[in-house]
Amino acid sequence: MSLVEDPKGYWTDLTVAEKGVSGAVVGFALLLVFSLVTGGLAPTYFLYLVGLAGMYALLSLGLNSQWGFSGLINFSVAAFFGIGAYGTALASASSSPLPYDLAPVVGLLAALVLAALLALFIGIPTLRLRADYLAIASIGLAEVVRLIVLNQDNWTNGSEGVRGIPGFFDGWPVLGTLPETMPTLVFGSGPGATVLNTPFWQALLNVGLVLALVGVSYLVLRRAHRSPWGRVLRTIRSDEDLARALGKNTYSFKMQSFVLGSLIMALAGVFYAHLNLYVSPGDLDPITTFYVWVAVILGGSGSNRGALFGGVVIVAIREGTRFLNGFEFIPFAAAPLRLLLIGVIIVLLMRFRPQGVLPPQRELIWPKTVDEAPEQLDSGVRETKAGER
Amino acid sequence: MVLDQLASGLVFSSIIVLGSIGLSLVYSIANFANFAHGDTMTIGAYTSLVTFGAIGGLGGAVLGIPIGFFVAIVAGIAMAALVAVVTEKLVYDGMELDSIGLLIASIGLAFIYRAVVQIGFGAQSTRYGIQSLRPIEWLVPYGVRITLHDVAIFVSAVVLVSGLHLLLQYSDLGRKMRAMADNPDLARVSGIRTDRVKLWTWVIGAGLAGAGGAFLGLYSQLTPRMGFNLLLLIFAAVILGGIGSVYGAMLGGFLIGMINQLTPLLSNVGIPIGIEYADAIAFVIMVVVLLFRPNGIAGEAS
Repeated sequence: MSLVEDPKGYWTDLTVAEKGVSGAVVGFALLLVFSLVTGGLAPTYFLYLVGLAGMYALLSLGLNSQWGFSGLINFSVAAFFGIGAYGTALASASSSPLPYDLAPVVGLLAALVLAALLALFIGIPTLRLRADYLAIASIGLAEVVRLIVLNQDNWTNGSEGVRGIPGFFDGWPVLGTLPETMPTLVFGSGPGATVLNTPFWQALLNVGLVLALVGVSYLVLRRAHRSPWGRVLRTIRSDEDLARALGKNTYSFKMQSFVLGSLIMALAGVFYAHLNLYVSPGDLDPITTFYVWVAVILGGSGSNRGALFGGVVIVAIREGTRFLNGFEFIPFAAAPLRLLLIGVIIVLLMRFRPQGVLPPQRELIWPKTVDEAPEQLDSGVRETKAGER
Repeated sequence: MVLDQLASGLVFSSIIVLGSIGLSLVYSIANFANFAHGDTMTIGAYTSLVTFGAIGGLGGAVLGIPIGFFVAIVAGIAMAALVAVVTEKLVYDGMELDSIGLLIASIGLAFIYRAVVQIGFGAQSTRYGIQSLRPIEWLVPYGVRITLHDVAIFVSAVVLVSGLHLLLQYSDLGRKMRAMADNPDLARVSGIRTDRVKLWTWVIGAGLAGAGGAFLGLYSQLTPRMGFNLLLLIFAAVILGGIGSVYGAMLGGFLIGMINQLTPLLSNVGIPIGIEYADAIAFVIMVVVLLFRPNGIAGEAS
């Protein structure tokens, strides 16, 4: 049912959760527009937030294609994010200890190759392991990667980090100089005026880049999810022995989904490096991994739109707690508050809604289909929607 | 040089062993990898800090440690156990999830514990108000530089571990726990109240973790991340020893602690791996063990 042809029918067809999320998204968007118009939120900063949200959405999409599609508990998200960021930074930055100074596009390719190699390096030993062992092994190997980045000063500058990363479009024919050539627009007057100058256009360009990355990844993943390949992955997730009995090489399928997800995470890292123009070993901290996990579980494991939603919520929490810092009556820093909020969300979700806010709907293969064959044999599609039991 | 590292390995091992026993017990009886275990250690450490600050030294001292600090350690153990029991009752008990769901929930709990500690004490590091000691005089000529505090940590860990051994082997509760670790369903139909045994498992596991945390604070310093930073090493120890085996966890903890402190010797024999990779070595060992002997070195080969 399409939104354009039959908006009313589309609305009644949604689950309660979908209606709630739609309402919340619209409300949040209105709030943002309101604070933009009233000057409470600077446009450049707003675009930076949109960029960050896109970055988390990319990471969530990547993790979703591993955990949501095939049930792989990958706790090394931060390592792939970091290898993407460091890959492009080392190839393109002026202060890089490696003497290349390549174009950012080449850096992007280098980052993807590095991430694919790292995915094989982590995946070959760990993907045969039982689910909870995979979790522990992958977080251990991610820490190994972080320690290497931190300590191999000759390759990575160590704890200093890498500075002087060019913007992604630097050196491109038109886009490279677009922020400088765009006119400076001023709305209003006096100190409260909204000025749209070079940093604004630069941020707008970055948002365009991340939206393109997210859009392409989303379309690719949606296609993959519906393809026969995606069905095999979901079968593996619900019952690996069944998939094997059907003659599928489950190890190979799991490896493919692991590499695919890792490449998308590395894309997020590449974008981050060219957004922040500085990377440091702190970017590989395991906390990033857990942020992304919260995003995916919150959105609904296996659901791509849920991953997008979760990514936006994570940025709202991250930046929202920073905003709370400004109030005098809260007697402690934002960092523990953020940690507390994330922890409480995880526990409440697992307690009351482990399937997430926007679980995938109308799926043919679902963990329970294997154990409970449907009553009506002519249809394997679930009658009740997830979350509405 | 070697003797010194062996000695400090023994001390560090003591702390890892205290952590890994609890993790292994919970892994086998509650059946999930508890990522909040490290932060349970942090709770023990900070409770000891508060208690020691409140009651002071109480006169005399044993092994260079004021009597009051031993009371503070008991308080740390009690608080860690209490938090674990409350968590089990409030959170885990009502969840109908598989071991993966519980694992993810435990990450959330780890964050909550750490956030509460950080809200109360700030992110910066702190120390107990105990004078740090000079190395023991008569050992220095042998190149061994350990303090009386290190000896106290080692002795206390040996006492706690021996107590646990006696409990597991000779008490009624110990027999029930071993039965439940072997086969929970069989234990249940034999009339063992598995809920109660599970609660006691949490008490013992978290209590030992609390003691380990208190000693870790004495060994180095207290930060809100201290337990979380040690968690992966403890996982490595548990996996090396074999998940679910308490004695395996002791052996694994001993080996991981030793390997960690003996890392500088690698450069002596010409392998260019510095001390900064001590943790990385343990993690790689962990993955290798998972691959080739998932039941650990103490378990049977699969």
